[in-house]
Order: sequence, then structure tokens, then C-alpha cells
Amino acid sequence: MIATLRTVAHVLVFLAVLELACRIDDTVRFGTPLLSRILSSDDLREHDGTSVRGRPNARFQKWVLNEQGLRGPSIKEGRTPGVIRVVTVGASETFGLTETAGREFPRQLEDSLNAARVQRPSLPAFEVLNASLPGMSLPTIDQDLRHRVRSLAPDIVLVYPSPSFYVDRDPPHPSTGDRRSGDLPASRALRPRVVARLNGSLKSLIPAPVMRRLRQRDIDQVVAPEPEGWRFTTIPEARLRLFDRDLRAMVGTIREIGAMPVLATHANAFMMRSSANDDLALAWVRFYPRATATTLIGFDSAAREVTLQVGRDSGVVAVDVAAALARSSGHVFSDFVHFTDLGASHVATALRDPMLVVAAHADARRVASTRNAHMQASPQ
Amino acid sequence: MLFNSVIFLFAFLPVCYAVFWALRTTQSRYIWLAVTGYVFYAYWDVRFCLLMLFSTLVSYFAGLAMLRWDDDARKRKLCLVIPVVVDLSLLGFFKYTNFFLDTVADVTRAFGGAPSIRHLNVILPIGISFYTFHTISYIVDSYRRVIKPTRNFFEFSAYVSLFSQLVAGPIVRFRQIEADLEAIGTTSRTTWLRAGISFFIVGLVEKVIIADSLAAFVDPALASHATLSTWGTWLAMIGYSFQLYFDFSGYSTMAVGLGYLFGIRIPQNFNSPYKALDPSDFWRRWHISLSTVMRDYLYIPLGGSRDGERRTYRNLFITMLLGGLWHGASWTFVIWGAYHGVLLLTYRRFAQSWDRLPALARQGMMFLFAVIGWVFFRATTMGMAWSLLGRMFVPTSGALVPNATLAVPLVVIAAIWALFGPNPFELRLEREWKGRLVLTASFAASLALILGSRPSPFLYFQF
Repeated sequence: MIATLRTVAHVLVFLAVLELACRIDDTVRFGTPLLSRILSSDDLREHDGTSVRGRPNARFQKWVLNEQGLRGPSIKEGRTPGVIRVVTVGASETFGLTETAGREFPRQLEDSLNAARVQRPSLPAFEVLNASLPGMSLPTIDQDLRHRVRSLAPDIVLVYPSPSFYVDRDPPHPSTGDRRSGDLPASRALRPRVVARLNGSLKSLIPAPVMRRLRQRDIDQVVAPEPEGWRFTTIPEARLRLFDRDLRAMVGTIREIGAMPVLATHANAFMMRSSANDDLALAWVRFYPRATATTLIGFDSAAREVTLQVGRDSGVVAVDVAAALARSSGHVFSDFVHFTDLGASHVATALRDPMLVVAAHADARRVASTRNAHMQASPQ
Repeated sequence: MLFNSVIFLFAFLPVCYAVFWALRTTQSRYIWLAVTGYVFYAYWDVRFCLLMLFSTLVSYFAGLAMLRWDDDARKRKLCLVIPVVVDLSLLGFFKYTNFFLDTVADVTRAFGGAPSIRHLNVILPIGISFYTFHTISYIVDSYRRVIKPTRNFFEFSAYVSLFSQLVAGPIVRFRQIEADLEAIGTTSRTTWLRAGISFFIVGLVEKVIIADSLAAFVDPALASHATLSTWGTWLAMIGYSFQLYFDFSGYSTMAVGLGYLFGIRIPQNFNSPYKALDPSDFWRRWHISLSTVMRDYLYIPLGGSRDGERRTYRNLFITMLLGGLWHGASWTFVIWGAYHGVLLLTYRRFAQSWDRLPALARQGMMFLFAVIGWVFFRATTMGMAWSLLGRMFVPTSGALVPNATLAVPLVVIAAIWALFGPNPFELRLEREWKGRLVLTASFAASLALILGSRPSPFLYFQF
């Protein structure tokens, strides 16, 4: 009897300390409250009838959103005179899913732009606000621009689109009111956090051949019930046109909200032969099983051409980030599309000079509009 | 593969353990231990295994040859010299070639030359310093007839590649575990089970909870040491002193625990070194296996303390200098060894006066001397060492350390344990039920941290 009680005590102590230690570790390392209701990076988003946006003051592991629901430090109410405000929009690549906190490319871009002032003091100061979130496609970004980003009064909006959403089962569409998500229920605070840690760690134990089989099985399970021809084995032109349409619409939206658009082409690890392999391609396809690996990679390349063309047609600066990364050396991708710290630094470097050119226009435009406002306000 | 990694804890160790105890014969257990050692080692780089196998074969055959030519002194000496030269040559080539080339280039430059010496592309095989000492100690002990060389290749191979002590020690001599190896086929699984688990968990706590937490502020602080204030530098260096101790002691304690799990009693490597009252005491407590190897295979053969005061000083100094160089191919390690050599000589000269001081004062001062020595040990260049010492002793303004509010209590906790608390061999929590409950809680806490981050390598792996 005593032996049984002692065994039970051991099990209880083990489980309680395990969970408590996870929570304390999260608090010490990431500042996560002990009773946080946010259990995954998905919880950083919230939906309402009008858009998908970042949950204000949400934090999960290294990802911390400010009071506006933007990734990065708190921002002051209103605009600081003489500072060019850049807002970056996009999905997880822009959000900085895999980089060290503070090394995501928008943060590095801000540093690079402000560092340029050391040599050219005439340049304005810059602040870069990161309004991107994992899973944001062009239609949901467009909504966010109209509803939230507009209120931030940006001078420049930098778009780093993720074309792969366009080879998903259905094409991306704006958020509808059917997935509202208000406050997260209090009961989530009591869900064991050790489970997520355990899952992540055990996944790392799976040998590569087994992992490959599991991924292939997942893909097959999605593809099998679908009719023949469902899978994209070549680049789906209709989807590419949709991407083109949505990107052009977004340029219009950015202009509508009074900002200057800058486009960036999407980069992937397969542009660099040395870093591409079948496992990586399979890992990417698992997220978009409707497309084969060749289609997925091909679609990304085609979307790059579209982005550059939209830039030319719309008179918008389009930075070929994909080409810049393809030329770079070192370990720049942490998976198929997400960046390492070094990769994010290359992206920031590629964007810096074009952004400075656009910023000069934006600054001139802002000075002119301020002057006009003064003239209109002054007595005749 | 690291002891504090998920793959080790949940895959390698359970499989190793289960198969080992399922095997019934001595020979099969030797083979299994040797195989698992090579698998463990191959996890870093499979090429390293060839080197270890070569070193193992050379020493094994030298041992056999000693048995064969037991009466022939000249041949026996050859059987000593050849494997020792081979082992030291391997160590010298892989560890010290570039250091030597750099030094030649620096000296040439100092005399106005323009050296065109290039670095060789040599990878330092992890653990080479440790298993080289294992094989050398085996050969020397065989030659001295302290041990009888084994005829069983797998027994010897299991000794060299024993995964628990393969990459960062302790430097276990064959004679220390010979009896356990001989009895490996008949050992009971349960005899040392609790002790093994207890040592392993305490070591895990030392490494994962204490050392890695200290590393979270020590590493970034020392990476930007030029910005630190005097207080910040002292805090970082004291933090590093505890980080190094708990990291290496943690590894050694885990090694002891793992040894016990397989019926092999690996000796204690750290005996509360920061409780040392003088330099001599410190070296009896810090990295005991290295200190005793250096004493038995270098200091005593040099003459030890047999030939008068001056010779003793010389022998001590040479031993410490080479002990420093063993740690790493850099002048910072040489200076660190020399510094401890000077401490030992000075203590030897003034021992009577020193020993009259109160124990607490001696302990405090010895700790301070150790911290100053760690500056050379930690610095990556001499410039960094001088910069750190300058900041420590010349009041300098600057930053404290990152996360100082967490760093200070952490250092205090580490200090209390290291300076006044029991070491793992004194703890022996497995003996009582409450102690076992503490072990369960400690394992859970360590596991939570292991699951939440990438395992950090042990500091002594670089040597």
C-alpha cells in the first residue's frame, strides 16, 4: 500500500513539476505570463467580421506583439514629425517565424535604413512597423490595410507576398465574419504546456526516412479522395492571374490609404541549388498538397515575374529579393521559405537602397502636403 | 550526441540499457559497449571513429606485445614508446598543428619577416584529448606492470570507447575500472541502479538548470566584454567560474551515473573545488582525474619532489604548463597553466603563513585566485584576457550584464551550492524516500528545460 502511494506521489510530483517548470521557463525566457491563454502562434491572430489581425499584446514564445497587434516594440500614439513610417505586410516570412527575435527582416531593415543616415545625415529617420502575420494572403492583407494599417498612416507599405497560398486547395479569399475569435477562453490557461514541448522534441527524434514517409502519407491522404486532374501538375494559369489581380488591387489599396507601395519578390530555398533537396520540397508540399513540388517551385518563380511586371505596370518599385538571395552565399533559409538571421539580413540589405529612393519621394510628398496644409490653414 | 539531448535520453540510452542487460555473456556486453561507444561517437562525425579505432588497435597490440615479450626489457620499452609516440603524434597533429604554425608565423613577424605560413584544414576530433590519455595510461600502466594488458580486444575497446566517459572524461584509467569490466557478465542490474539514476539526475541539474542558466547571461556578457563595467566584468567572470564548474562537474556526474547504470564505477572527478583552501587543495578537488594523470605520468617521472626544492618547483611548473596546454592549443591556456603553476609554487613557499589564516579567508581568496585564472581560460585571445583583467582591476564604467536582475540571484544560488553545499558524492539522494522524491522533481524540471530548447554542448568538449 505504502509502495503504491509512493509511486503515485512520484508520478504526481513529476507531472506537476514538469508543467510548472515549463511555465517558469516560458516566463523567464520569453516573459510569457504563467497563466497565458495563448498556446500557439495561431493564437497570435484574431478574426472579426472585417479582417484578420494581430491580437494586441499577445505573446507566444519569442513572438511578441505590441498593443497594436504588430510584431515589434511599442509605438507612440500618432506620428513623430520627420520620421518616415514604413509598414511591412506579408505572411510568416515577413513576420519572422524562424529568425531570432529582433532579427526578422523588418527589424533589420529599420536598422539598415537608419544606419544609412550616418553617412547621409540629410536622410529622414525611419520606423518600420511589422504588420504581417503567419497565414496572411493578399486578400486578408488587403482587408487589414483598409481597416487597421490605414490608421497607422504609413508613408510606405512594403509587400512581401506569399504566392504559395494560390496553389492551395481553394484560392485565398478575404476573411468573412464566420470565423470570429474574441477573447480566448480562460480554460486555455490550464492546458498543459508540456504537451507542445514534448511533441516538438519527439518530432526531432524521427529519422529522416520515417519523416519522409509520414509526410508523403499525409500528402497522399489529401490527394487520394480527390478526382483525377485535381492536382496541379503544371502551373495553374488561372491561379497566377488571380495572384496578378490581387497584387494589382493591393497596390491600389495602398495608394488609397495614402501610402507609397513597394513590392518584393518572394524567395525560396530551391533557387539556391545547394540548399534544395527532396525532403525540403516534400515538407513544403505537405502544406500545399494540391501542387506537386515542381509546380510549387515553378509557381513561385512565375509569381516573381508577375510581381516585377506589376511593379513596372503600376510605376511601383519592385525589389527582386528572390534574385538577391539566389546570388547570396551562406545558410539563408531555415526551411523552404523562412529565413535564418543571415537570410533576413540579406533581405534587409536588398531592400535598403530601393527603400531609400522611395523614402526620398515619400519625404518630399509629405513636406509638400504639410506646406499645403499650412497654406490652407493660414489667414488670407 | 549530448547527455542532455532528447535523442540521448529517449532513444540512445534506453536502447543501450535494455540491450545491455538483455545480453547475458561478458563478451557480448563488451561488444555491445564498444559498438554503442562508436555509434555515440559517430553521431558527431563518422570519420572520427576511424581515428579512435586506430588508436585503440595500436594500444591493444602494444599491450599484447608486452605480454609476449614479458622478459625482454628492450622490446617492452619499444611497446611503450611506439604507441605513446603514435598517440601523442595524433594529438599533436590534430590539436596543435595550427597553434604551432601560428606561433612560428608570429615569431617570424616579430623579427621582421613576412611568413607565408597557412593554416592547415584540420578538424579537431572531439574527445581526442581524453581517449588519447586513456590509451596512454593503459600502455604506461602495462609497462609499469601496474596492470596486466587484456587479451580481449572488445574489453579494451569497451574501455576506450565507453560512451559515458568518451568525449569529456573523466580520464578513467584501466586499473580503476578493470575489476568492474572483468565482472561485467555477472554484475546485477539493480546493484547500482539507484545510485546511477541519482548521479545522472544530479548531473543533469548541474548542467541544464545551473550551468545553462548561467550561460544565458555569461555568454552574451563576455561576447561584448568591451562594454562591461568593472562590476559587470566581475559578475560575468564569477558567473563563468560557476558555469564552468557546474557544466563540467555536471558532465562528470552524469558520466558517473551512466557508468553505474552499466555496472562500472567511474571515479569522482570533482570534489567541491571551490571549497579548496589553497592552490594545492584546489587541484586535489578540480578535475581530479586529470590532476592525478598529470601527477602520475608527468610530475613523478620528472622527479616529483624527490630532488630538492628547486627541482620540485621546476617539475610542478612544467606539469602545470603542460596541463594548461592540454586544455587547448592557445597561449591563453599556456598562461592559465603557468598562472596555476606560480600559485602552487608560491603556496608551497609560503604555506606555513597561509595556513594560519582563517579557513573562510583562505577559501575566499582561493576562489578569487581561481576566478582570475579563469579569465585566461575563457578568453579567446590574449587581448581579451588583458581587457577583462583591466576592467576587473581598473574602475571602469559601462554595462552590467544582460538580465542582471536574474543573473544576480542565479549567481548567488550557484555560489551557495558550490562554496558551501554538498557535492553529488555527498548528496546521495537515492538513499531515502524523500530524497528520491527530490530526484523525481529535479528530473522533471531538467526535462522541461531540455524539451524547451536545443541542448547546449558541454564546455569541456572543446578540449
